[in-house]
Amino acid sequence: MHLQSAYMPNYFAIDDILATQERTPCKFIVNVPTLGVKLNPSAEGDDIQVGTTLELPMWLVQQLGRGRQPVVSVDLPQMYKEAYREVLKADPRAVNLHKFGLYFYELGSYAKEFDNQREVNDILIHTFKGRFRKIMDLADNISSDSTAQDSLDVLERRLYTDGHRSRSKLNAWLVESGVPLEAANMVINHRKRKRVDIEDI
Amino acid sequence: MAMDPEEVEFLAEKKLVSIIPTFNSNVIHLISGDIGPFRASLPVNVPLWIAVNLKQQQKCKIQPPDWMDVDRLQELKEEEKMSRTFIKMPSEHYMIEAKLLLGCASDDIPRADEIRTVIKDIWDIRMSKIRSSVDVLVKGAGTYAAVDNLTLMEINSIRPLLPHALDQLYRMRKTRKSAGTQSQNSSTFLSMNVNSKNTPSKS
Amino acid sequence: MFCDKAHTLIKELDRNRDILPPYNNDLVNEIGKEITTLIEQNQIDAQTNETRNSEGVSLMPTIRVRHAAIHRNLRCILAYHYNRLNSLRTMRWEFGSILPVEIKVNLSTAESNWFAKYSSTLAKYMRSLGEDGGVNLAVDMKPPKALYIEVRCMVDYGRFELSDGSVLLLKKNSRHYLPRCECEELIRQGVFQHIVN
Repeated sequence: MHLQSAYMPNYFAIDDILATQERTPCKFIVNVPTLGVKLNPSAEGDDIQVGTTLELPMWLVQQLGRGRQPVVSVDLPQMYKEAYREVLKADPRAVNLHKFGLYFYELGSYAKEFDNQREVNDILIHTFKGRFRKIMDLADNISSDSTAQDSLDVLERRLYTDGHRSRSKLNAWLVESGVPLEAANMVINHRKRKRVDIEDI
Repeated sequence: MAMDPEEVEFLAEKKLVSIIPTFNSNVIHLISGDIGPFRASLPVNVPLWIAVNLKQQQKCKIQPPDWMDVDRLQELKEEEKMSRTFIKMPSEHYMIEAKLLLGCASDDIPRADEIRTVIKDIWDIRMSKIRSSVDVLVKGAGTYAAVDNLTLMEINSIRPLLPHALDQLYRMRKTRKSAGTQSQNSSTFLSMNVNSKNTPSKS
Repeated sequence: MFCDKAHTLIKELDRNRDILPPYNNDLVNEIGKEITTLIEQNQIDAQTNETRNSEGVSLMPTIRVRHAAIHRNLRCILAYHYNRLNSLRTMRWEFGSILPVEIKVNLSTAESNWFAKYSSTLAKYMRSLGEDGGVNLAVDMKPPKALYIEVRCMVDYGRFELSDGSVLLLKKNSRHYLPRCECEELIRQGVFQHIVN
């Protein structure tokens, strides 16, 4: 029995750290002295002037874009803007979400804070509901498209992995009549890797 | 919480099945209860796991449960096809019983191969309904799906995919606190106490 | 850009989800230096009168950016150590209390010490359960089906002593019919392969 809880972003979660590294366009509404070069490699002066637009990572945007005295005004990343939303609304399943935005759902959950129209929220939910069947079919080995896996974003991929692992166990059980003990997964992978390393010499 | 199929099987193995022993023995006291006494040629009820064990040692003959009959199963299959929901199966663990009994005692069960095929057909029909049902649940405004009469092995087949998917949907629906309040993951500069000597410490 | 090194550190973990790459001492130290530098710069700017620079522009935004970077670096370092430790803990259950050499070399000294302590705490706990020397929690991960099982030896393991004192010589491809509880750990380590008809 495995107590697998669903992914929830937390302080130590690698996926959350990587998702908050994704960038979003911002416009500076105050001057920021000294940091010109640090934040904008092609800057001319030492300071960042009011009105400069830059793409900043979400972890920084969260500190600068909120509160009583924001330093920047935040815009939405490209993939949540109208043109892209229309593509997603038309047929969510046809979109290669991996190319569209690797952290589509995670980044979206942060970006939606800066969206006054609640459209980001809606498009995330709509897309997920539309694509769920695809994920389920993939996990159950029903889908005949072996490359479909590559078009999933990080969140979908995680769901697919969990579902697929569980389905594989069920299929194995249906096929066999005994319960073979097996070497631990880490041990198997470790051995495989070792073999490859030796062959490289 | 997802279980391994072997764990579901472990639970199902407690179910009683009728056997005809080829040996004699007094009552045997086990942790899970007493079994026997055993008199050769007289039917007796034992848990499935014991029946399989005895059969493998050729110490008994297995009597298939009433529902493990080709005609009865064909009827059930037709019912399942017609029904929009799930019919009640004659056994809470039909798939496991079938696998274990047909696996070790197919010589004691008439038309074993046909039975295997029909049961698999029923299983496939039900699994297909489950998948459609789950998809509707995730997509729809509905907040529940009717899962009456599903066996544990079938319910376990959609774990953890369905609960995890619903959790992610829940995360998306939850709206973040409005901008201007603090988040839990990081502290804003304005909340940091630079001069801690000004604030009284609480023990 | 701030925190690029921290990002590299985390990406290293992301690429190696189920194995432990060598502990990146250098990168961790460099990030530590970046944090210290940022703190010093902020302290200087914060002490300037009314936090305005020579042209009268407020230094607050600058301080805030650096502050965010400090916390980001901290988060990445903590996550790096935390996730590695989690992996290490899982390894105790998958590999047993003795880790293969290829993994041991990738651990930092602190991690090795931690593993030894965890192993011994776990052993102490298991010994304390029930009577008779305790319960080994690392066996019977799946419901056992039989008392004796047939196994094939996958490597030239050498001498193996059973609990009744008898000794077996385990050569590659030899088959044995043994009590399940004696074999379980060797099966998990990949020395034995369970044969099922």
